[in-house]
Amino acid sequence: MLYISIILGCIIGALIGINAPVISYTYSSYLSIAIIAALDTVFGGIASVVKGNFDLKIFLSGFFGNSILSIALTYLGNKLNVDIYLAAIVVFVGRMFTNLAIIRRYYLEKWIQFTEKMKENKTKVEESE
Amino acid sequence: MKAKITLIICIGCTALILTAVMFTQFKTVDQTDITAIETMREAELRTELASWKTKYEDIETKIEERDSKINEYKQELNNGANSLKILEDEVKEAEGYLGYTDVEGEGIVVTLKDTDIYNIENYELLKLVNELNIAGAEAISINDQRVVSGTDITLVNNRIILVNTKKVSGPYIVKAIGDKKYFESALTIKGGYIDEVKASGRDVEYKVEDNIVIPAYDGELEFKYAKENVKEKEVKE
Repeated sequence: MLYISIILGCIIGALIGINAPVISYTYSSYLSIAIIAALDTVFGGIASVVKGNFDLKIFLSGFFGNSILSIALTYLGNKLNVDIYLAAIVVFVGRMFTNLAIIRRYYLEKWIQFTEKMKENKTKVEESE
Repeated sequence: MKAKITLIICIGCTALILTAVMFTQFKTVDQTDITAIETMREAELRTELASWKTKYEDIETKIEERDSKINEYKQELNNGANSLKILEDEVKEAEGYLGYTDVEGEGIVVTLKDTDIYNIENYELLKLVNELNIAGAEAISINDQRVVSGTDITLVNNRIILVNTKKVSGPYIVKAIGDKKYFESALTIKGGYIDEVKASGRDVEYKVEDNIVIPAYDGELEFKYAKENVKEKEVKE
């Protein structure tokens, strides 16, 4: 059910995005930083699922809060003539990599465990024979 | 169960929003022409605007310089010797047309003499002047009285001829400047002026000359009632 809803959401979202009007280049920089923040939150969510401490409230608040905050910071940076969005990108992408590392390690360990189990099963079968 | 449904819906919604925004961004980045003015960043537009403004100001100062130069030239033209010369030339030309200057050139000299039987009368002279004008005379004089636009040729007391209200007496020497061949043929044509005068028993001679001097009109031409018709001129222009 969950995967179906994600896939459905992705397809509908892609259709909406393709049919949406082209936005001004000035605002596209804000949108890009919001996308990075949202992606960071998504990967953080997956990592928390892996860890087993996933909370929907934290996920949703992070998804929207981070996006809005990053947009606000970029706007402030524009006003101050400081490229704050660079710092935001560094932080978000760095966190994305750590989260991806957690996910990778989890599934790697799972796979290793799976293969070891298979080996044990094999040896058991051999011993029984 | 309820918590699970909300989770599914929320995750789906976030996925939808994220992909929608991402695809919009992809499209924007894909279609954005960095040189197009609509998609330029504000800062870029500002620098562009500033450069154009400086250019505009430069050009404006240049225009002002040119304008002042043009004004100077105009003033020079108004005050300078050049314009004076032009004006003088114009005045000379106008005077030439009016008969205020001595002129010389090729033309014809017609001499009318009184005979014992007939005196030369004013209509004879008038007709001659008319014939000469038809033949393209540029300047005419009768006994050194210049024939101008206001010239009168009158007979007083059946004896005295006045030209420009000045008494002239025979022989009447009529000089005309213009194409001498044309004059000759115009006057000597069969049944023309010379024939006519001779037929009426008067004495007439003509002589074609290359250098005739015709003196200036010594009277004055003055406009008292006639004014330039400005309205008509404007309409024509």
